[in-house]
Amino acid sequence: MGLVANYNLRSMIARKGTAAMTAMGIAMVVAVFVMTLAIAQGFQKTLVSSGSPDNAIVLRKGATAENVSAVARTQLPLIESLPQVARGDDGKPLASPELVVIIALPRFSNNQTANVPVRGVGPRAFQVRESLKFVEGRPLTPGTREINVGRLAVGRFQGLTLGSDVRFASQTWKVVGVFSGDDAAFESEVWGDVDLMIPAFQRNGYQSVTVKLTDASAFESFESVIADDPRLDLRPQREIAFYADQSRVMTTVIRVFGTFVTAILAIGAMFGAMNTMYAAVAYRKREIGTLRALGFTRRRIVAAFLAESIALALIGGVIGCLLALPVHGLSTGTTNMASFSEVAFKFRITPALLGGGLLFAALMGAAGGLLPAIGAARIPIARALREI
Amino acid sequence: MKLLGLIVKSARRSKRRTALTVMSVAVAVFLFASLRAILDGFNAAAAASSSTRIITIRSTSLIFAMPSSHTQTIRSIPGVRDITWANWFGGIYKDPNNFFAQFAIDAESYLRLYPEIELSASEREAFFADRTGAIVGDGLAQRFGFKVGDRIVLQVGIPTYGSQDFTFTIRGIYRAGAAAVDNQSMFFHWKYADERSIEAGQIGWFVVEIANPDAAAQVSAAIDQKFSNTPYETKTDTEQQFASSFVSMFGNLNVLLGSIGLAIVLTTLFVAGNTMAMSVRERTTEIAVMRTLGFPARAIFLFIAGEGLLISIVGGLLGAGLAWAIVDGQNFGVSGGFVPPFGVTGRNVLIGVALSALIGVLAGAVPATMASRLKIVDALRRVA
Repeated sequence: MGLVANYNLRSMIARKGTAAMTAMGIAMVVAVFVMTLAIAQGFQKTLVSSGSPDNAIVLRKGATAENVSAVARTQLPLIESLPQVARGDDGKPLASPELVVIIALPRFSNNQTANVPVRGVGPRAFQVRESLKFVEGRPLTPGTREINVGRLAVGRFQGLTLGSDVRFASQTWKVVGVFSGDDAAFESEVWGDVDLMIPAFQRNGYQSVTVKLTDASAFESFESVIADDPRLDLRPQREIAFYADQSRVMTTVIRVFGTFVTAILAIGAMFGAMNTMYAAVAYRKREIGTLRALGFTRRRIVAAFLAESIALALIGGVIGCLLALPVHGLSTGTTNMASFSEVAFKFRITPALLGGGLLFAALMGAAGGLLPAIGAARIPIARALREI
Repeated sequence: MKLLGLIVKSARRSKRRTALTVMSVAVAVFLFASLRAILDGFNAAAAASSSTRIITIRSTSLIFAMPSSHTQTIRSIPGVRDITWANWFGGIYKDPNNFFAQFAIDAESYLRLYPEIELSASEREAFFADRTGAIVGDGLAQRFGFKVGDRIVLQVGIPTYGSQDFTFTIRGIYRAGAAAVDNQSMFFHWKYADERSIEAGQIGWFVVEIANPDAAAQVSAAIDQKFSNTPYETKTDTEQQFASSFVSMFGNLNVLLGSIGLAIVLTTLFVAGNTMAMSVRERTTEIAVMRTLGFPARAIFLFIAGEGLLISIVGGLLGAGLAWAIVDGQNFGVSGGFVPPFGVTGRNVLIGVALSALIGVLAGAVPATMASRLKIVDALRRVA
C-alpha cells in the first residue's frame, strides 16, 4: 500500500493534465450509466410503490392489465362480502370498484397530446390507498362530477389546476382536490366517481376491484375463495406484484438500452485509460527499474500500477456521479405500455446506483490498466536503468 | 503532400497508441450512428407521412370508438375525396410477450388509401375474397415464420370482441413501401371483428383522404365541427401530427438521446485530445529540431492537427462502416414492436464521419497550437 500511496498517486499528480483528461473520459461514461439507470429506477419505483402490501386487485381471469379486464357490477357485492376484506370505522368494506380509461390532454412541455389516465373510483378509494394525501383541496364527493388530480398530472398536463373545469367525455368536471402519494403512478392520474364515469365513457361495468385485506397474510384464503366461487370468473393478485409486473417491460427496455450504450462507450473510455497507463509506464521506465533494483517484486509493481489505474478511474467515477446527481428528482414521463397511458416519474439516483457507477468505473480502470501494469513489471532491470 | 507523408509516419510512430485511439473513436462513432438511427426510426413514420391523409379519432381519446354512421357524414364534407377506417384489435398470439400490432380494416378502401402497403395483385384478390383472411408484413412474417396459407389463432385481448378465439388465414405478405406503414403489423377484415363485437358498428379511427393538402386544417375543422355537441365528438389531425404525438408518448427522446450523444462526443474528445497531447509532449525536442530546420510554425500546426484529424477520421470511417454493416432494421426490429425497426443509413454514416472529423480537429487544435508556439531554445534545452 505504501508504494501506491507514495509513488503512484504522487506521480499521478505530477501528470495532472493527462490524468484529468482520462478521468473526465471515464466520468462521462459513468454519468451516462447513472442517468439512464436512474430513469429505469424512477419508473420502477413509481409503479412498485403504487402497490400496498395488504391490498389485492381483482381482475378478470387472464387479464394482465386493467384495460383488458372486466368485472360486472353484480360481482362487486360478492367480493365486498368476503371476510378477508377489511372494514372501515363505519363497518363498510374497504373495496374500490374501478374503471381506467385514457383521455387526450395536451402536455405543458410540447403541447402534444398525451394519453392521461382517468380512474373512476369507489367512495372508499382513499381509505383503500392510505398512502395518498391531499396537498390541496378536498376529496371528491361521490355522486357529483368532481374530480381529484394527482400532483404530477397537475404539472404535466394542461388544464388540471385546482378549481378549474375540465371537459371530457362530453361533460364538464370540476377539480376539487390535488393528492400526492409516495411517487406512486396515481400521482399522474385523474380520479372521479366510478358510477358517473361508467355512463360518461359509455362502458357497462367495472374493470377491477381493489380491496384492503384484513392483513397481508389473508391473501391466500381470499384467492382460494374467489377461485372456488363459480359466480366469479375473476382472479385476485397482490397489488404490489401486479404493479411490479406492469413496470417490467419498460424497465427492462430502459435497462438493456442503458447497459448496451454504456458498455460500448466504456470500451472507448477504456482504450483511453490504456493509452494513459501505457504512457505512464513508458515515462517511468527508469523509475520502475530503480524500484525493482531496490527489491520491489514484479507482483508489487503490477499491483501498484493497477491500483494507480483504478484510482484514476475512481476519480473519474466520482466526478461522473457528481455530474449525474443534479438529475435526481427531475420529473419526466413515458408511456406505460401495459396501460397505454402516460406515467410521470422522477429520475431516481440511489446510493446503490452510485455504488454501481463507481464499481463500473473501477472495472474500466482495472481493464485498462492491467496490460500496461504487466508490461511495467516485465521491464528488465538492467535495460530500464540504462534508459534515458 | 510532403506534410501528409510526415503525418502518416508520425501516426505510425507509436502504433499501439494510434490503434487504441482509432478504436476508441471507432467505438464512439459506431454508438453515435446507431443512436441517430434509433431516433430516425422513431421519427420515420412522421417524416414519411402523407400530406393528403388526415386522421379522425374520438376527441376523448383514441381508445374510444365511434359509430360507423360517421362514415357517410364525413364523406359528405367538401374537400374529402376518400375515406377508410380501422380498429385496434389487441389480440394475443400464443403469449402476451409476442406482441405485434393487429388492425381490423375495411380492406379495399384501406389498401386504396395506403399504397405504401405493397401487395401482389393475386395476394390482394385472395385477401379480399376471404372473410377470415389476413395480410402480414414481411418483417412480422420473418419474426414468426408465417407463410401464405398458414392459419393462425389470436386470443382476444380487449373484452369488446367477446371471449372466443379468432382464427385467420394468411392470404398475403406485404412490403412496406415507405415508413408511414411498418412491416411488423397484421391487417384483417373489419367485418370479421365487427360481427363478433359485443356492440356492432364501432370504429376506432377514420383515415380521410383530402383533395388538397393545403386545406388539411379547414377540412379537419369541418369534420370536428360536424360532430361537436354530439355524444361522439371527434378530433382530426394530419397524419404527421398523429404520428409525432405517438413518438412523444415514449417521453422526451430527443433530449435523452441528445444528451447521450453529447456525452459520447465529450468522452471521445477527452480520449483523443489526451493522445494528441501525449504525442506532442513526447516529440517536443523533435518539433524544435524541425523548427530549427526551417519549418514554419504554420506547418507544425498543420502537421500536429493533421495527425489528430487523420487518426480520428480513420476511427470514424471504421465505426460508421461497422454500424452500417451490423445495425440493420431486420435485426433490430424485433423488440416486441416497442422500438420501431431501424437501420443505419448512409446519412447516419455521413454524420458519424463528420463527427469524427470534428473530434479530430478539436482534439488536435490545442496540442497543435502549443507545438507551433514552442520556443525553440527552451524546447531544445528540455530533456524528454
